[in-house]
Amino acid sequence: MRVIKQKPMTWGERLYIFEALRGLFTTIKHAARGLFRYETLPTISYPEGQPEVRNTYRAKHRLMLRPDGTPRCVACGMCAAACPAHCIFIEATASDDPRIEKKVKRFDIDHLTCVFCGLCVEACPVDALRMDTKEIVFEHRTRDEFVATLETLTAWNPKDYPDDEQSQVAPGGTKNAEARKVWGMEVK
Amino acid sequence: MSNYYNMPKLPTENSPKVEIFVDDKPVMVPGDTNLLEALKAVGIETPHVCYHPYLPVSGNCRQCLVEQEGPRGRMLVIACYTPVAPGMKIYTPASSARVKNARKATQEFMLVNHPLDCPICDKAGECTLQENYMEAGQNESRMRPEYGKNYHGNPAHQFIDAKGQLRGGKHVDLGPRVLLDEERCVQCDRCVRFMRSIAGSEQLQLAGRADHTYITTFPGEKLDHEYDLCVTDVCPVGAMTAKYFRFQKRVWLLSHTPTISMDDSLGANIWLDHADGHIYRVMPRCNPEVNRSWLSNTSRLAFQNFDKNRLPSMGVHKVTFGNGKIALVVGGTCTLEDLAALRMLKDSLGDRAEIFGGSLLKVGAPDGIAKSGDPVANRAGMKLLGFADVSEFMKRASEFESLVTVNADLFGEDPSAAKMLEKINCRVALSPFDDATVKEASIAIGVRHWSEVQGTMVNSLNILQKLNACPVCPDEALWTPYAALSYMAGKKFECASEAFKKAGEYAPVLAGLTYDAIKNTGKLLEGGNA
Repeated sequence: MRVIKQKPMTWGERLYIFEALRGLFTTIKHAARGLFRYETLPTISYPEGQPEVRNTYRAKHRLMLRPDGTPRCVACGMCAAACPAHCIFIEATASDDPRIEKKVKRFDIDHLTCVFCGLCVEACPVDALRMDTKEIVFEHRTRDEFVATLETLTAWNPKDYPDDEQSQVAPGGTKNAEARKVWGMEVK
Repeated sequence: MSNYYNMPKLPTENSPKVEIFVDDKPVMVPGDTNLLEALKAVGIETPHVCYHPYLPVSGNCRQCLVEQEGPRGRMLVIACYTPVAPGMKIYTPASSARVKNARKATQEFMLVNHPLDCPICDKAGECTLQENYMEAGQNESRMRPEYGKNYHGNPAHQFIDAKGQLRGGKHVDLGPRVLLDEERCVQCDRCVRFMRSIAGSEQLQLAGRADHTYITTFPGEKLDHEYDLCVTDVCPVGAMTAKYFRFQKRVWLLSHTPTISMDDSLGANIWLDHADGHIYRVMPRCNPEVNRSWLSNTSRLAFQNFDKNRLPSMGVHKVTFGNGKIALVVGGTCTLEDLAALRMLKDSLGDRAEIFGGSLLKVGAPDGIAKSGDPVANRAGMKLLGFADVSEFMKRASEFESLVTVNADLFGEDPSAAKMLEKINCRVALSPFDDATVKEASIAIGVRHWSEVQGTMVNSLNILQKLNACPVCPDEALWTPYAALSYMAGKKFECASEAFKKAGEYAPVLAGLTYDAIKNTGKLLEGGNA
């Protein structure tokens, strides 16, 4: 263990007035920098300036889409089981597609309760849930609006994810037509 | 394939004890049973898929392999079909690597073409394959991704999925209540054996051979039987699913309340599986003496109406009756506690009150599985506490001036009785439901349903069984019937055990018993099976 002994104050420091002026100088220095050399400050003048968010940042969720536009989610409830904040509410129903058994009827994420840990994304067996929307701002007028529903979670544009192949498979994406051919395979 | 003669002999308390050697250690096991049950009795669980204690042994899954020392050395035998013999030497995976490997290989074969559906499978969480995999399997996949799963069963339902795998039969409509997923089926033939040996109506069959085997009904026929939902219970995997519970709730989110089904005097033992204040399904609770592992569709699906058409809570107040005679009538779903409270009310009213119990519904014949056919569940309890039958009341209905009904829907059960009952001026009805009797009553009091109360009942076999309260009451302020009745009598019972004690005062066979003394499988009362 390192012991740091406090040095006794010198005569000049004990006078107080010089030290106070020295502190004031630091304050004035920063104030002047904000006035004349604003761009060198590390602070972002939010909301005019927006921080740069990487796609690995755990932002608002989105639900991935199949080529035909239905959510990939199979309503297995793994995300809800993994969620430490219990903020995911899922109801399932039978699917109309004969190849798929189960589809999601209700998928609500309460972003007021969510802790953005990303465990739901890890838990998803079909890669339906992602947190790469880069949307980090949640501003709403009522509590209900903070609950992301199936509609809001699936309302994303493939153009916002140009580098992600999986997103391009969704309707409106560059690879949608190709994927649709495979997806719409005849059911024997 | 199973035949009719090999029902497993289950160990009982009176089974003779014999000494066998398990992993070279001597243990005393029940001697008149099969090896699987004997090992279970000493705490050694053997993974199994096709074996079911109340179905004939089929021995087709080969999952319960153990080694037995024989004249030609140590051989692998299936534990479910090997009778216990004194002095036999058995080796389990604890000491034998061969058994361990054999079980692991069996498990691997079973999973070769089993779909990886667990996330969307309704059985996930209570699936035998999952349990066995954790216990005996834990194989690494040797699947070649270019082949994937290959389903060879029913050719009519085969399809190629988005990954190019041959899949099949995801939802085959077997009947009005059961759906079949042919791909998940492991051909254990439990459902076939259930329909053949227990239900006595051979509606399911195995078709095809080897890995082309699939479960099917006869052409043009549907699976439709009073006990057809039991095939979803016996199914060790998610192949048979009940339509009413399909995709409703993941099973690990359900809490279970052990109770008694109060719509039949056999009093089938059930689990009420509930989550967030709703009952999602009813499962049979194994009781060897009463319903074994079976439950009729009527009892199983009755829960769908438990929270419908309910009466709200309202102030219970003491009713002042006129000077004439008073009839106190209880319905079949009343527990012993309610009966004791009503008897107390009768005592407080004096000689002008008379007590009756029962229903106007017809008594059917027992079906030998899980129903006695008598809709009055607690008929034996009513007899114990000195209740006359309700038919007696109907004969002399004109004598009475006031009528108190508890859970007894006399108007609804027999509309022709209404004319006679309408002559009674003062009609008080305690009921959970807004039924015909409540609509006709001058005073109606909402009470709790039998699924929401603690209590006891005596079934038709003279077994005292315990009901537990499931926390699904739509209105927490609702009173239990025994509380309401005892309040009207002048001394309110605060808890069920108090009322049960009172029942002991009226019926000597119940005296001295407590709830703790009643096992989960009930307690046979003095006098034996009626």
